Amino acid sequence: MQALPNYALLWPELLVTALALLVLALDFLVPKLRKRALGYLSAAGLAAVLALSLAFLWGRQESLYEGLFLVDNFSLFFKALFLIVGTFVILMSVDYVDQHLEHPGEFYGIILFSVVGMMVMAATGELLTAYIALELLSFSLYVLVAIARDNPKSNEAGLKYVLLGAFSTALLLYGISLLYGVLGVTRFEDISSKLQAMDSINPTLLVGLTLIIAGLGFKVAAVPFHMWAPDIYEGAPTPVTAYLSVASKAAAFALVLRFFAVALAPAVDQWAFLLVVLAAVTMTVGNLVAIAQRNIKRLIAYSSIAHVGYLLMGVAALSALGSNGLLFHLVGYAVTTNLAAFVVIIAFFNRTGKEEISDFAGLADRAPFLAMALSAALFSLAGLPFFAGFTTKFYLFTAVAREGYLWLVGIAMVNSLISLYYYLMVIRQMYIEPASDASRLRVPALLSGLLAVLVLLIILIGIYPSPLLRAIEAATRAIIPA
Amino acid sequence: MSLLHFQVLSAALFSVGLYGVLARRNAVLILFSIELMLNAVNVNLVAFGAFLDPGRIMGQVLAIFVIIVAAAEVGLALAIILRVYRNRGTVNVDEIDLMKW
Repeated sequence: MQALPNYALLWPELLVTALALLVLALDFLVPKLRKRALGYLSAAGLAAVLALSLAFLWGRQESLYEGLFLVDNFSLFFKALFLIVGTFVILMSVDYVDQHLEHPGEFYGIILFSVVGMMVMAATGELLTAYIALELLSFSLYVLVAIARDNPKSNEAGLKYVLLGAFSTALLLYGISLLYGVLGVTRFEDISSKLQAMDSINPTLLVGLTLIIAGLGFKVAAVPFHMWAPDIYEGAPTPVTAYLSVASKAAAFALVLRFFAVALAPAVDQWAFLLVVLAAVTMTVGNLVAIAQRNIKRLIAYSSIAHVGYLLMGVAALSALGSNGLLFHLVGYAVTTNLAAFVVIIAFFNRTGKEEISDFAGLADRAPFLAMALSAALFSLAGLPFFAGFTTKFYLFTAVAREGYLWLVGIAMVNSLISLYYYLMVIRQMYIEPASDASRLRVPALLSGLLAVLVLLIILIGIYPSPLLRAIEAATRAIIPA
Repeated sequence: MSLLHFQVLSAALFSVGLYGVLARRNAVLILFSIELMLNAVNVNLVAFGAFLDPGRIMGQVLAIFVIIVAAAEVGLALAIILRVYRNRGTVNVDEIDLMKW
């Protein structure tokens, strides 16, 4: 008889699952309940789980179910990130859900389930568990993208997402089956030791690895597997787009980083080149196509593809420093800049129902705070000094250059310059172009509050990143021992 | 029957599915093609499990999970396809083109 697993280590996931079921049940059983209350309940629940997990699990290094589920600083760092993102996304969607969606209980419940999926993804130490967690996340996202049932754009986005998502999963699974066929194991640590024991790389294994990279490339939207992203970002309800662009990417990178750093490290010569090429192509295509965009959500979609390119450099330059850089840039990009940009887009859409870039003309006069916050977010995405994006990009690029990929960093710098152009186009609309409709936009207190917090975070990470960096270094040590 | 037979069968199934995904224009048939690819995975997993690792049941366990998750995936995808059909009156992916780059 095996000893029972230590369930205390699992309770962040269990609590969030319970919260999701509670929200669904309350929605069903208490029809009179004000639907906004469900949103506040979900956000408060996530915040409470965040506080409890940080208080009790930081610094633990344990594994459950013979290594299928790992509780360490790396997984906890990502869990905290997902819980924070989940809380912010739920809070920023409350108004939107009230105005535009019919089924608030399901919206919040499914977001909570997807948070569970992401938390397990960050903690998994084995391929089957990773697959199940990935599917829990993906299924939730398919539903969320299509949740505006009578909106043809949302339907279309959902259809494209579910078909391409299932297709990419099939590629990933075929790769996993080949990997299992050659090595006979699926646990990351076993894969690593089997790879070390092999003197030459088997061609079947290479095909398997390529398919796995393609499958995961779809999930993070790396070029050439990025075609789904712009359509789905545009068609999905805006809070879901915010969630997709931040959380699903962070979760996929949590899995990718652990898988490559722990399982595939012995075969680094075989795949590093593939990832380097993928990174260079991804950032270039993302930035160049972004220039031509007219819809703000599509612009952010392509800009997020470009950022995936930067982040992939961190995986390719596999080292403690590279992994720090990846996590740091992920936090800078995701939590502060993209969430802040989306709060503005949501607030603007709630008032006007528009989302073209030209609709933002004159925003500086109509809602000065929104214009200022969106400018801060875009400057940070472009990587201007004093904003989070500069510090994180600087760290990431330095780390990659130190691993010998100087030319790749050169491409990334040129790309950063290109990105400045299209971010400035949006800012030009807001500050220079005259407004066609000069009425003032009222921003609800909740969104203003969120925005103020996010803008402060952007600046704080930009000028005083050391506490965050210390946490990131502790997280990296769990997967790449120094 | 050797392991090679199963691998060839699986690779053939996977390729047929891949071709279907790329060539078919009806959303339901694309979904079926994806199912073919997933079943190729299952053939692979069960065969590898039986030939290379007979003492353990890892391959079969993996296959069972894949089957279950694939069933859920079909349900979800069909629900979304149904929604599209109600709103648009077509499931031809070429005609579902509100958004293009």
